[in-house]
Amino acid sequence: MTVTDADPATPAIQRRDAGSGEIAYRRAGQGHPVLLLHSAGGANEWGPLQLGLVATGDLIAPDHPGFGLSDDLPEIHTVDDLVYHYLDLLDGLGLAQVDVVGMSFGGWVAAELAVHSPERVRRLVLGAAVGLRIPEAPVADLFLMNPPQLMRALFHDEALVSAALSVPPTTDQILATYRDLGALARFGWHPFLNDPKLERRLHRISAPTLVLAAGEDRLVPRAHAERYAARLPDAELQVVPDCGHALHGERPAEVTAAVVEFLGRSS
Amino acid sequence: MKVNFFHLMPYPYLPDDFDDVEKYPSPSLTFSNAHFDPAIGVDLYHRYLDELEYAEAVGFDGIVVNEHHQSAYGTMPSPNIMAAALARRTSRATIMVLGNAIPLRGNPLRVAEEIAMLDHLTKGRLLSGFVRGIGWEHFGHSINPADSRTRFNEAHDLIKKAWTEPGPFSWYGEHYEYRYVNIWPRPLQQPHPPIAVPGAGSPETMRWVAENHYTYVSVYAPTKVVKTWFDGYRSAAADLGYVPEPEKIGMALPVFVGEDDASAHREARPYVEWLFHRGLRQGLEIVFPPGYMSPAAMRGLLKANLKAYPELSYEELLEHGYVVVGGPEQVRNRLGELRDELGFGQLMAMLTIGAMPADMVRRNTEIFAREVIPELRKAPVPVSS
Repeated sequence: MTVTDADPATPAIQRRDAGSGEIAYRRAGQGHPVLLLHSAGGANEWGPLQLGLVATGDLIAPDHPGFGLSDDLPEIHTVDDLVYHYLDLLDGLGLAQVDVVGMSFGGWVAAELAVHSPERVRRLVLGAAVGLRIPEAPVADLFLMNPPQLMRALFHDEALVSAALSVPPTTDQILATYRDLGALARFGWHPFLNDPKLERRLHRISAPTLVLAAGEDRLVPRAHAERYAARLPDAELQVVPDCGHALHGERPAEVTAAVVEFLGRSS
Repeated sequence: MKVNFFHLMPYPYLPDDFDDVEKYPSPSLTFSNAHFDPAIGVDLYHRYLDELEYAEAVGFDGIVVNEHHQSAYGTMPSPNIMAAALARRTSRATIMVLGNAIPLRGNPLRVAEEIAMLDHLTKGRLLSGFVRGIGWEHFGHSINPADSRTRFNEAHDLIKKAWTEPGPFSWYGEHYEYRYVNIWPRPLQQPHPPIAVPGAGSPETMRWVAENHYTYVSVYAPTKVVKTWFDGYRSAAADLGYVPEPEKIGMALPVFVGEDDASAHREARPYVEWLFHRGLRQGLEIVFPPGYMSPAAMRGLLKANLKAYPELSYEELLEHGYVVVGGPEQVRNRLGELRDELGFGQLMAMLTIGAMPADMVRRNTEIFAREVIPELRKAPVPVSS
């Protein structure tokens, strides 16, 4: 799940003008275009999921404004702004219709994008997505967690938690994480990782949708995936067993296989 | 040197098992208000206001109140209410509201109006502080920490304009929009009450306070770190071509003066420990939530590599200058050293330390006023350290 720029197979970072600055993205593969919208912790990531998508399509993997290698673009301040940001990106790249894969926070953005412009989305994957307001099953307050608590909320397997916590982060890593979480706060502090209007707009989404839930998600209760699956006109719910919220960070092979298989079905 | 009495108004009655940090990660945000007993609270408020009034009576130049939310550490969600309670019970001391947490306000004009009213109630004895609000208060009031600084800046600009420019005028900003800004009353002090802003090392804050010629106040840090803050403020002022008067530099500091050195330490220790080990028990994640700090400020904080307050022993707190405790002579000497090293001309002495009982606070205040203040007033403050 980490970036390996030294690996010649890793496509180079590209940069594009966007608003007051530039965004960073990677693009590789051939076939139908796939827009991958990353989770809060998934900026500048190149791993099994990305490789799987490159093998079967034309993957476009941008860092959201304020995350990873993208500039801050402070004028992009809400998820609504992000929808227009990504519509601009699709227009700029000349892509009329794409598959969209959104993980966690990116899943929220993906759902809003598909609500806004259903015709731009061929197939949709929402992985452990936030975005819905479910007061009786709220998303855990990750902003209140210290690093060990956050790791335990992201991963089900205690060995992965211990491994992640065994190496103390460098100052630059702490600052990069603080910046990514700060960008998440910008979009999701209040309302907390939800758009109260999203649920009643989900009927607009026409793309067949795979709703992926982590079997042991300690951040986003199962009710969110179930609600998405229930409200979307053409959705199927798949649960990845023995897996925490990190999904492809914890179970890369299973999650990648599920996503690739779903996108590969003829619609 | 101006000497002021700074009150936090803590709620001292924590449960017996409060040292269980798993159960009670902090006295703030998540510490249940079921622990607040109104029958005790009512007496506390009146006791604390008495302490502030007493400070004026024994000769302090100013009395200081501040704002905190959802916390046993400080029980003044509205400092303006406390200032109003003091306004007509006092007649000489400057009443320092240090300060209103303006990013937390949905409507900053309300702050402009209340401060203007207080300026009249105090007959121009008011100092108006502005603060960001601590991280946990952004959780508590659902204010996006990523907006905190821009909300602070815009609220400040709006309040200052509302005080100084004839209305009605309109305001179209990033966070606030008003078609009619036209506050009644306007402030008594012209062009507006003096303004103070606490800093914690953020270079943006130092520069901004210097640009506006406001008072810069430090809180809870080792002397060597406070020195870098004050030097940063002075150097920002120097870049702008001026030397700030010493009274534009303030230091907030818990102080206890006993009868003699040995008894002072014996008496003060449990309350100093209460303040730093219980009152200030707060994880980084609730103090600096994502977006609250700029990358530069966060880098500075990581570089300073300071221990968390609860990890500092009583001896370390004394040694590094977080607190001053001693007999009259020791406290006079220590404060004199700090003044000469740091060059502050306002001392915000916190004489009610943590859960310190009323009689002890009264004695601390009385001895401080008699034995320490005259000496502090005598010596000049170095203009530059």
